[in-house]
Amino acid sequence: MLKFLRRLAGHVVRGLVMIWIVTTFTFVLVRLMPGDPVQTQYETLLSKGMSPDQAKAQVAVTYGFVPHGSFWSQYGHYLWQLLHFDLGRSVRAQGVSVTTEVLSTAKWTIGLVLAGTLLSFLFGVVLGVVAAMRRNSHLGNGLSIVGSLLHGVPQYVMALILVTFLTVKFKLFSTGPVDGLLEPGFNGPYIASIVAHAVLPAVAFALSSFGGYLLSMKSSVVSVLGDDFILASELRGIRPSIIFRYVARNAILPLFTVLALSLGFMVGGAVFIENAFNYPGMGAMLVASIGQRDYSEMSGAFLLITMAVIIANICADMLYTVIDPRVRRGEGA
Amino acid sequence: MSTTVEVPVANPVVPARRTRFLANLWKVLRRKPSRMVGAFIVALFVALGIIGPWLYPENLPKSADLLAGPSLSHLLGTDFEGADVLAELIVGSRYVLTAAAVAALVTVVVGVAVGLYAGYRRGRPDSALMRITDFVLTIPGFPLLLVLTTVWKFESALQMGLVLGLTGWGGLARSVRSQTLSLRERGFVEAARGLGLSTPHVVTRELLPNIAPYVAMNLLIGVTTFIYSQVGLFYLGVLPYNSTNWGVMIQLAVNNGVTQTGAGLSYLMAPLIAILLLTLGVVLLVDAMDEVFNPRLRED
Amino acid sequence: MRKPVVAVLTAAGTLATVLAAAGCTDSSSADGGVFTTIDGNHPINVNAPINPYNQASNTFVGYNTMQLGWAKNSKTDPNAFYPGLAKSWTETPDHLKLTVKLQPKAKWSDGKDVTAEDVKTSAAMSFTQGGGAFAVSPGAAGGLGDIKVVDSKTIEFDQAAGSANNSFLRNILSMNVIPKSVYGPQMPADIWDTIKTATDPKAAKADQTKAQNTITSLGKKLVDFGPKKDVSAGPFVLQRVNPGEAVLKKNTYFFDADKIGPKQVVLKNYSGNEQIWNYLIAGQLDAAPYTSTPTNVVKKIVGHKGNGTVKGFSPVAASLAFNQSYKPLDNVHVRRALAYLIDRKLTTKIGEAESGTASQTTTGLVGDAANAWLGADGVNKLNPYAHDTAKAEKELKTAGLTKSGKTWMYKGKPFTLNIQAPTGFSDWIAGSKSISSQLTDFGIASSVKTSADYATYLSEIAEGKYQVGFWLTALGPSTYNAYARLYGPSNGWTQFGAQVKHSAAGKDGNWMGGTETANVPGLGTVNPGDLTNQLSQADEAKQKELVGKLARYSNDQLPAIQIWDYVNVQFTNTTRFTNFPKDDSDVLRLSPGVWMQLGYIKKK
Repeated sequence: MLKFLRRLAGHVVRGLVMIWIVTTFTFVLVRLMPGDPVQTQYETLLSKGMSPDQAKAQVAVTYGFVPHGSFWSQYGHYLWQLLHFDLGRSVRAQGVSVTTEVLSTAKWTIGLVLAGTLLSFLFGVVLGVVAAMRRNSHLGNGLSIVGSLLHGVPQYVMALILVTFLTVKFKLFSTGPVDGLLEPGFNGPYIASIVAHAVLPAVAFALSSFGGYLLSMKSSVVSVLGDDFILASELRGIRPSIIFRYVARNAILPLFTVLALSLGFMVGGAVFIENAFNYPGMGAMLVASIGQRDYSEMSGAFLLITMAVIIANICADMLYTVIDPRVRRGEGA
Repeated sequence: MSTTVEVPVANPVVPARRTRFLANLWKVLRRKPSRMVGAFIVALFVALGIIGPWLYPENLPKSADLLAGPSLSHLLGTDFEGADVLAELIVGSRYVLTAAAVAALVTVVVGVAVGLYAGYRRGRPDSALMRITDFVLTIPGFPLLLVLTTVWKFESALQMGLVLGLTGWGGLARSVRSQTLSLRERGFVEAARGLGLSTPHVVTRELLPNIAPYVAMNLLIGVTTFIYSQVGLFYLGVLPYNSTNWGVMIQLAVNNGVTQTGAGLSYLMAPLIAILLLTLGVVLLVDAMDEVFNPRLRED
Repeated sequence: MRKPVVAVLTAAGTLATVLAAAGCTDSSSADGGVFTTIDGNHPINVNAPINPYNQASNTFVGYNTMQLGWAKNSKTDPNAFYPGLAKSWTETPDHLKLTVKLQPKAKWSDGKDVTAEDVKTSAAMSFTQGGGAFAVSPGAAGGLGDIKVVDSKTIEFDQAAGSANNSFLRNILSMNVIPKSVYGPQMPADIWDTIKTATDPKAAKADQTKAQNTITSLGKKLVDFGPKKDVSAGPFVLQRVNPGEAVLKKNTYFFDADKIGPKQVVLKNYSGNEQIWNYLIAGQLDAAPYTSTPTNVVKKIVGHKGNGTVKGFSPVAASLAFNQSYKPLDNVHVRRALAYLIDRKLTTKIGEAESGTASQTTTGLVGDAANAWLGADGVNKLNPYAHDTAKAEKELKTAGLTKSGKTWMYKGKPFTLNIQAPTGFSDWIAGSKSISSQLTDFGIASSVKTSADYATYLSEIAEGKYQVGFWLTALGPSTYNAYARLYGPSNGWTQFGAQVKHSAAGKDGNWMGGTETANVPGLGTVNPGDLTNQLSQADEAKQKELVGKLARYSNDQLPAIQIWDYVNVQFTNTTRFTNFPKDDSDVLRLSPGVWMQLGYIKKK
């Protein structure tokens, strides 16, 4: 237990160092970016048909939210704010707290990612076992090929196709996160609406990522099937159900770490799905803030996306420690 | 869409020599027609990438019919400007394939070098290199690319490939390291070291050939992954471009409302199907290599 | 083996249930009428304050934000307004004094009267935000000098001494009015003294800077402030916002409440134009403001039952602007050659077929405005630059270019032209591609380059990195605004008090790099920046004369080639509501909320 805690503490310290490096990196990067948010806002309003007089009045105050001052004073200020969990003020939303903005988008992304990843994990594991058990049949072969192909289909392709056919052509689903006419809160219709709106993006997620789990599960099962234990028990005529339990338990363990890792990555990787389904998540926010040179929102969103990965990494590693006895005893790498 | 390559959990290999690998590959390829198809598709795309732009040195063939469907004169229809989609697809293949190939190459070179060195040396260099690898693995690849697009221009395919590769070698380095760790305890490597053979000799003659098939698989899968991420960047419209490529085609098709109306569907579908086809080719080819590499999968 | 299969079946079952549930959701309410649309200016942001001065605000002009007046879509008169919260107004002919009478029955949604004090608070708020008539710099042209509450429903605005700007009226009337009961307590009691010090040219320098800083930081604080509950003087009041949409309900206290049909308004969120098209194709929107939309999408939208378009005048043109620091673009003959070469009809068909018409010629104003100011005769006297390759060849030869084989050479090297456009502006990209193909066919090697985004585009074009690029021009109806796009800061002229000064190419944001003066046949030597500046103070007769000169100058010198004039295309759906404005109506560039106030839009 002590060893476990020490390991955890080590991870947390390394995670914090990583966060510091990432913040510094984005801080520097942001100051190298070409483009002026005020000018961009102004010209964008013009392109939407607003008159120059009105556009000028709208954007004048934005200048106040663009970071000014020397590099080091800005950097110090930024770190100081971060220590207080303050990500600064939004430029494009003129002063709205970035922490609030990021957190309110995070909840949509996390829900979506959880649903989509679990769905694809489920599909992938089940079909992976089938593919491994029947690996010499057409079914098994077919599953592997389909899995590899779907693993290869970029999310945007899947999302674009689903949006085109299921929300525009056949109006089975609607885009966006929830039906706005409903009273928000913990009530039946509102939650049902959230679920109904999340189905399609989650399915798009699952369809484009379950192939990876399928392949990993298949190869994991295949390698477990080759274990001496299995060979021996087959020779001894031990019941297939027992063999199956052994196989399933041992084969699925490595996948949990993959699952934990991918949960972290998906937070930032959901950008295409969010883009296609008009889902107000973090990926969409990152893209939008880059386009409008909202320095604070951009750094904030990127920081949170990275933190998701770091936390997922720590979880995966701790999970691995618990699962794999060799690592638990401190033998493995 | 992370750029880290996910590979099937691999088992350490029975020692196999380079020549045997190629012979095996050929044997395995011939066993199933699907694998030959895969090899053919991959070869076709490589050829397309090399000679494509020379086929249309001037303006692309044009028609007055905008966003038209496939016809005899325009096999894949026309785009919003009336230009021939097939021609665009062919001309646009070079950027995409070059960038992906460069990226895969960078990944392999950096990943193998780091992985081999760390695994073979162990100790302090190992832990230092693995810290860096962890860092590369932790920074989420696609969002990082998004952020980088604002300062880096990605004007040439080489630059694009370089950046993709430099952000995506972490996974390979890690697996090569663990392969090396296990190989270095194997009899033949121990024997070679016992005989007093130099480190370069052990690494290049004994270790490298053994991880080569694994690396080759990664190279292939890497190519497809890198195609997705760069096409994705163009699709999101965050990258500048000065000539057409598959991602630009998707972006302009979506911007011109193809997903909404279905008019010019072939304009949108052509690059998507090209990607799928290439993926299929790679998958079929990897299937063959997988068998060479992982004998337990063999059918006999 | 059994368990996983069961799991799959369960998952499929859940999916089917949810599918069925999704099928039942129908947003159109049976009674009263829910009007669904989008806000063209910005998407929905749940975290933004309910404050019309915030750029991302959850207030929507015409619905729960009121202005004193609503600008008509006039071709020539930027000061034509419909009454809003102001019932009437009078302005002295010299633009120096404006007296506004408020709607006698105007009330806030909490039942309080809308008074002159609210307007004064709004003016203070405007000063903290800056811009327009409320710039916090002493002696700014057209600034608000003094504000007097005459009685509870009457208020007087005086233009600051030193200039008589014709933009004063429209800047005041388009002010967003906010309630004093909410925003007053947020402002220090001495705010007007601070504003006075900050804008008074005679104040001591130190005091002035201090006052200006106070106002700037106050502005940052105020723009992020918003009441928990919307207090609106408009026909609607915000009911709730979620990431997908903002819902507004009818404000029973609105002074013209009987005119308003819908009981609710839903403004849907969107992440890009494609989303808006999807809503339209599905017939979900009752009206949608202008967005650049490709032909085939328009066809598809109009194909849905009840959908239709309303088209009207738009005072915006898309031009190809030159950076004359790149040789030989500094040669007017080369620019003329390009004007002859580019087939504007073809380019428009490819770039902006639905919401654009090929520009008649380059005048610096959109076609309709040019006709109105110059008369048909005046326009006909200008060079139409009809597509003519022979004339183009002649101009190029005059400029000293030679032809080698099929390729045009400048000083021994092929003449190449890179056209720049920002990613995401699909109309500009399509237009650029068309132009580049035309030029390449003619022997001028041309390619299209895109910039990563609009922000990069704007900063790089200003840094002089592009040879030619798309640029919005002719931003009317104010003639000053229109010509300031060509002869303003981006071409070297900056306002300096009532005068202008000219900076050299590459300095102070001058990227067009045109000459300061040029000799135009029939006009003599002309300084277009100076003429443009005079437009801001001129009366109508004087404007006519100045516009005549500037149009001829622009037509002759071509700092930019006008490619297409935008057409304002709005979508409407008549299955749930009827009585929408007709084509060419002067309310077209206002939001449907304003249409309702003016008596349009009734439930079917």
